[in-house]
Amino acid sequence: MGALGKPIILMVAMYLFLKFVLPNIPGSAPLPSSLIFLYLLLTAAGIIIFETLSGESKDAFWGPMQRFLTGENIGGLQALRYGVLVLFPLLVGWQTYGSTASSDAPPAESRTIHPAPPGEYTGLSNPVPKTPENIMQGKGFYAAFCSPCHGGNFDGKGPAARGYNPPPANFADPTTIAMLQESYLFWRIKKGGVGLPIEGAPWKSAMPRWEVELPDEWIWKIIMGEYDGAHQSPRTWE
Amino acid sequence: MKPATQMMKQVLRGGVAVIAAMVIGSVPFSFAQESVAVRATLVTGGLPLDDPNAAAWSGAVPATFPMSPQVHWPNRIQEVTVKDVAVRALHDGKQVAFLLEYSDPTQDPDDAAAFEFMVGDKKAHFAHGQPMLQVEGGPVNIWFWKNKAGKATDMTAKGFGTLKAQEHQDVKASGAYANGTWKVVFSRNLSTDHPEEDVQITPGQFISIAFAVWDGRKDAVGELVEKGSQKAVSSWWYFRADAPPDYSSYMYAAVAAALALGFQFVLIRKLKKGQ
Repeated sequence: MGALGKPIILMVAMYLFLKFVLPNIPGSAPLPSSLIFLYLLLTAAGIIIFETLSGESKDAFWGPMQRFLTGENIGGLQALRYGVLVLFPLLVGWQTYGSTASSDAPPAESRTIHPAPPGEYTGLSNPVPKTPENIMQGKGFYAAFCSPCHGGNFDGKGPAARGYNPPPANFADPTTIAMLQESYLFWRIKKGGVGLPIEGAPWKSAMPRWEVELPDEWIWKIIMGEYDGAHQSPRTWE
Repeated sequence: MKPATQMMKQVLRGGVAVIAAMVIGSVPFSFAQESVAVRATLVTGGLPLDDPNAAAWSGAVPATFPMSPQVHWPNRIQEVTVKDVAVRALHDGKQVAFLLEYSDPTQDPDDAAAFEFMVGDKKAHFAHGQPMLQVEGGPVNIWFWKNKAGKATDMTAKGFGTLKAQEHQDVKASGAYANGTWKVVFSRNLSTDHPEEDVQITPGQFISIAFAVWDGRKDAVGELVEKGSQKAVSSWWYFRADAPPDYSSYMYAAVAAALALGFQFVLIRKLKKGQ
């Protein structure tokens, strides 16, 4: 079984590497199973090509498999052979069932959290001077209008948040307002959930369309208060 | 003969590798789903259409959803009594019955609850189908029950201020209060003659569903605390009525297994002859 041992070890080692080693390399991520499958397929194809390069290696490679399948002179492996012959059709049946049975899972939800804003809301700068008074006033507006959902600690855990899906944004999280420009927040606060494009799933968002209730100046002050309170800075292009 | 045998061997080798990789690779697909859907179990025999305490309900799986104070538009409310609702459903292929359960410390004449559904193919905003700025939305169908009315009202909305009772009332509801818990049954035919305003329930299909509850308690000066837009609401979740059992997958699996068995048989015969 020498000629077969190496390919089997190689396949197992490849799988273990892809599944457990590669995701732990800094900057990497867990591989989707479809990609692991593709890599294993390529590995198997490589092995077959390599092993069938010469007549000699071909016989050494296929010979043991052929003997195993036909059951000639394999002695103690006979039981394993029957096991494989029974298991293979069962596996094929199981896979077929799995791919044709109807799923109980609800439709997949893919929602873009920060979709692109309309053109008129890119690159606007905050017209309100960044003074301690204005920041304080912004925090006061935030406490009155925003904190019930986004939280007194700017963490998205306000008392009204629990039932909402998607959950209110956590401004202390570095992937929310810290990677957005002030003009983006101005758009999101002004137009609210109903202002999102289709990839943002506007029908699910509870965010009010504040332009019908608050003047622009208050919104700009709220933005200042949010960044200050969450200890974040707006993204800039400089 | 020899090349054919070699070919068969290669096919077999490839087949084994493919199956092995499929088995190994498919394991991570079976991820856990949170409770995001109400499922109506298919039953034969009568549905408990107006009995919140019927034994038949124990055969339905409850799904629990968190509630929030309504904050999307004024008048808002900061705090609500009901924090969660549990929903079960049963259907018999013709009618559907929902059981809504929630804790409420007091029974009041103005206690009320509602189901909301998207109607048709267009997405509707969960706040009464409020118009969206970049997406053309559809209407919502609202089934509203109030304790003192003792019945359901079948309603339609497409944006604020458009909520109105329908001309055709197709929904029934009845509530029972005991031990600090409301149990309310809503029922309707799966389909109606008015698909433009009523949700049409096709077994096997997922439909968007949301919930609202009003605690009818009054404050110190006799004013209702929760009324109109001041209510507990949920986000959109899913509802699905179970489709009749479909055994075709078992048949496909049996055919595939038989083919694999035949393939093995032919292959081994060829290999033996080749030698």
